[in-house]
Amino acid sequence: MDDHSPRDTAETQATAPAKRVYETPPTERPITDAEAARAAQLAANEHIKIASGYLRGTLADGLLKHATGAISEDDGQLVKFHGMYMQDDRDLRPERTKKKLDKAYSFMIRLRIAGGVITPKQWLALDHIAVTYAGSALRATTRQTFQYHGVIKANLKRTMAAIDATLLDTIAACGDVNRNVMAATNPAQAGAHKAAYQLAKNISDSLLPKTSAWREIWLDGERVVGGEEEAEVEPVYGRTYLPRKFKTVIAVPPSNEVDIFAHDLGFIAILDKQNQVTGWNVTVGGGMGMTHGEPDTFPRTADVMGFVAPEDAIRVAEAVMTVQRDWGNRKNRKNARLKYTIERYGLDAFRAEVEKRIGKPLGAPKPFAFTDNGDRYGWVAGDDGRYHLTLYVPSGRIKDIADGPQFLTGLRRIAEVHQGDFRLTGNQNVIIANVPAEKRAEIDALVDEYGLTRGASALRRNSLACVALPTCGLALAESERYLPDLMTELEESLASHGLAEEPITIRSTGCPNGCARPFISEIGLVGRGPERYHLYLGAAHDGSRLSKLYKEDVAASEIRNTLDPLFADYAKGRQPGEHFGDYLIRAGHVARTTNGPDFHARTGALKPAAQS
Amino acid sequence: MSRQNLLPRTAPFGDGERASLDAVLGTASPTQRAWLAGFLAGLDAAGGQPAAVPAAPPKAAAPLTVIYASESGNSEALAGNVAKLARKQGFKPKVVDFADLDLATLPKAGKLIAIAATWGEGEPPARAVRAYGELMGEGAPRLDGVEFAVLSLGDTSYAEFCAIGKALDARFEALGGKRAAERADLDLDFEKPAADWIKGTLKALAPADASDNVVAVDFARAAPGEDDDVEPSREPLVVEVVEHVNLNSSRSDKETIHLALAFEDGAPAYEPGDSLEIFPENDPQLVDEILNAAGLTGDEALRKALLAERDITTLSAATIERFVKATGHTEAQKLIDSGEAKAWIEGRHLIDLLAAYPAELTPEHVTTITRPLPPRAYSIASSRKEVGDEVHLAIVAVRYEAHGRARAGVASVHVADRIRDGAKLRVRLKPNRHFRLPQDPATDIIMVGPGTGVAPFRAFVQERRAIEAPGRSWLFFGDRHFLHDFLYQLEWQDALEDRSLTKIDVAFSRDQPEKIYVQDRIVQNAKELVSWLDGGAHFYVCGDAKNMAKDVRAAVVKAYETVKALSPAEAEAQVAALERSHRYQQDVY
Repeated sequence: MDDHSPRDTAETQATAPAKRVYETPPTERPITDAEAARAAQLAANEHIKIASGYLRGTLADGLLKHATGAISEDDGQLVKFHGMYMQDDRDLRPERTKKKLDKAYSFMIRLRIAGGVITPKQWLALDHIAVTYAGSALRATTRQTFQYHGVIKANLKRTMAAIDATLLDTIAACGDVNRNVMAATNPAQAGAHKAAYQLAKNISDSLLPKTSAWREIWLDGERVVGGEEEAEVEPVYGRTYLPRKFKTVIAVPPSNEVDIFAHDLGFIAILDKQNQVTGWNVTVGGGMGMTHGEPDTFPRTADVMGFVAPEDAIRVAEAVMTVQRDWGNRKNRKNARLKYTIERYGLDAFRAEVEKRIGKPLGAPKPFAFTDNGDRYGWVAGDDGRYHLTLYVPSGRIKDIADGPQFLTGLRRIAEVHQGDFRLTGNQNVIIANVPAEKRAEIDALVDEYGLTRGASALRRNSLACVALPTCGLALAESERYLPDLMTELEESLASHGLAEEPITIRSTGCPNGCARPFISEIGLVGRGPERYHLYLGAAHDGSRLSKLYKEDVAASEIRNTLDPLFADYAKGRQPGEHFGDYLIRAGHVARTTNGPDFHARTGALKPAAQS
Repeated sequence: MSRQNLLPRTAPFGDGERASLDAVLGTASPTQRAWLAGFLAGLDAAGGQPAAVPAAPPKAAAPLTVIYASESGNSEALAGNVAKLARKQGFKPKVVDFADLDLATLPKAGKLIAIAATWGEGEPPARAVRAYGELMGEGAPRLDGVEFAVLSLGDTSYAEFCAIGKALDARFEALGGKRAAERADLDLDFEKPAADWIKGTLKALAPADASDNVVAVDFARAAPGEDDDVEPSREPLVVEVVEHVNLNSSRSDKETIHLALAFEDGAPAYEPGDSLEIFPENDPQLVDEILNAAGLTGDEALRKALLAERDITTLSAATIERFVKATGHTEAQKLIDSGEAKAWIEGRHLIDLLAAYPAELTPEHVTTITRPLPPRAYSIASSRKEVGDEVHLAIVAVRYEAHGRARAGVASVHVADRIRDGAKLRVRLKPNRHFRLPQDPATDIIMVGPGTGVAPFRAFVQERRAIEAPGRSWLFFGDRHFLHDFLYQLEWQDALEDRSLTKIDVAFSRDQPEKIYVQDRIVQNAKELVSWLDGGAHFYVCGDAKNMAKDVRAAVVKAYETVKALSPAEAEAQVAALERSHRYQQDVY
């Protein structure tokens, strides 16, 4: 049904301009402490890390300052490494000072759930924490984990202790480290999923910071005395950790549900005819974040660097991360992600350094093909005879909605009877996995009882929204609270052109940092200010090609009117199976983005859209 | 005024006479005075009588002990009035606070007047608990030969109206005392009947041969300038509201109004710890409901009176009796006869009575049935040294449901709903000398003030900031939710920054599964708390009297017990000693 030929990124690499001149990489030159301290121009965060004593800072003292719900600014940076962001309720900001109240500070706490797999028992414990400390809501993120919102400082230690009791943690869920490692969930390919999950788990564990600060601060653990040598405390990271966040994913074709091209490091399963993993293609240098008005910053899709045998995958992961640790830009955080390192030194030099560190060459990438980056809703039978139900969770917000679906209660009830496991997807959804055939009816009954949606319109099934207002400090505009309304408008428009069932990816974020990966979505909305968005179009449906800025600062009320003529044109002019993003490029509405460096070139509508 | 006052107020003359004598003697030369002294001495020695008979002093001043149990200061003020008048009538009065009362002195008192307030659900004022307990206990001394009289203050809106005064009256008699005058049980509008009672009682207690030249004093309306000892005016002052803001967040289920009041002619000389009385107005909607229920809709004069002058909320057994007396309502009479009235009025108001027992009322009936609308006192939340001619208050709006009807605190909801910036309020200062910062600014202070109990501590901290007090200060604050109910949060942060507040501990009861209250924080900080107290710190509690103040006191006892390894009785004695030395002070309601 889909004749869109998946784009082979390795091929693109070959066709990229060959004359590009790269800087000489700082090989054999990991930065030393002394060097770091001397370098006056290091980014402020580097100094915070150096001074933090392996991520301790003054957090323990800050928790004892009872008059404020906040922690110090420097601790606010460090706490990210522990899996939290300090936030404040921006809806309440206008009234607070007048009421002689400080900002309504609370914390977002993100878990580390490698591969997004949790047991029913863990689900129930996480649900209880949500009800007790986090406003009765769990939020499934775009990176296959849960986060809590609204935990006040006074409850942080209790919450962390409760999380610890579930055998999960929040270490490195945020911060300049290898964050939660995602893995393909496709339960239909049980063997491949098992391998992908195992690799995700192994990478997550082996690249975990080793400092005992987390246990010490949150669980009143004893400080390990004597282990102050850097090589002992943080043998991989050192005291300055990474220059910037580092995100790793594992994909199993044909699904690109993990959005492998949007991540720093990726492994693509190469399967034999029995769906067994024979090795992995390694991708490097993807990333979404950019800054409005700074063309030196741009999103970038990852390159396929080579092929690695299963037994070498962990070593490659560590090598990629440590080369980035040593080569990454520590002076400018806006230029610090791996994608910029690779742009600076070139993929060849980067690959050579990785090969040197693992002591062997990488193989040539093997062919692979993705079809899309969405989820498979409803029941799916696995190749091991078990069944898996994917539920659509709008924006991943698991809570009880007045006069609507009771996600929190319903999933709790399911967790009470379910004997398999749960999987979170990179699309903010939940899979009730490994259900024996005879249990299906019971699960179905609960899904119906609590109004849990097994699907929604094609547009909604392919949507993602970041949290944005009111809790995210970076948000310039609404996202999660606005996208559902916009989709209602667009559904009408699509239906009027006979496109109601056409899968089109749509993603919105409140700022250009890209948590919901808007720049690889066929329709991307990126907040600029209250009710103003940049509209990006022309990305590939499978997440392999970036979009292009189509129209600047579109008022929320004008988005439908802007898209409607393009929908009309698409409905009339598309070829069988041709996706919306591809069509807009072929029809000349918007320029194709080759990759990051040309993201900001030839922006805008290339021709006026016909008025419908 | 340059008038010289030579004669003390204790001189056995009426005010007018004293003024006349002062007019003569004030300008007399030493020679003239010496002559007059000799002349008068000679005259008496010769048995001569002066033509105009001045108030003759009793042969020997009769001792009179006035004891008071006061919470809000009313009983204490009345005790002062008794002493003042008694002195003029030739008594030698001694005024003793229950807090300082040594029971062993009572049998020798001879003549005894007790003025006692009843608090909460029939309890003695906090400072009086110890002596009251002793008096009611088995160890109380016999009072044979003691003449006594009891004046009790209370509030008919509470079930156990004047319980403490009644108990004292019975107890004195049981211990062998002789009742010299009938007890009076007074409601919130006590000033006039109290003055009458004092006059009559002193007359009854006066020695048989004492002169009956009684000087009438109108205590309710002592005109300024009449007395050397100028008292603050009892007349309400009109103030303007210059700040009116709800301190709770819009997500809170509470509403605490911060009021800044500006005095046009300068704020009264209040001290941190004092209270301010607000003269509220009733909810116009409730007034209309009452008028409607009474069949008096359209009576504008009555409506006006009910808005500002009458207590149209309180329902007591006395209210029902007055209602029956005025209307002859047989059904209501049955309620009284059945003995169920006391239970029925629980949680009900006047409007419930009128709804349940409909009757056609006259405006006079309504006035007879209701009592005057009393002012409500609120602890002042500011220091004049910081806010100049303003007074700040923090008032929590009281709203709840009872018997199917929405109920509202008269004053608090008047302030919350019907007062805004620029509005006028009638207020009156109510000093509280039992809730005072230590004399020595170097003394440490520990303040426990959950909810609006924090108000006086805002005044304390402002004051100590202004005078740069070197003593440390430690605040325990609590409420429901940290994010939404942290009253004056930004100000406490500033105070910690500038060191006018040394330390803060907070207890938010509903932020976690188990309830956490200020007393729990006290127990958790027992060691440091006891160390502060050992170093001479003063301990203050303000807020809810029913539970919090008791729980806090128990927590302090517990702290002594654990930190110093004392028995419960020994620890209790430590806290009692703090109270006796006035280092443990309460302003509770």
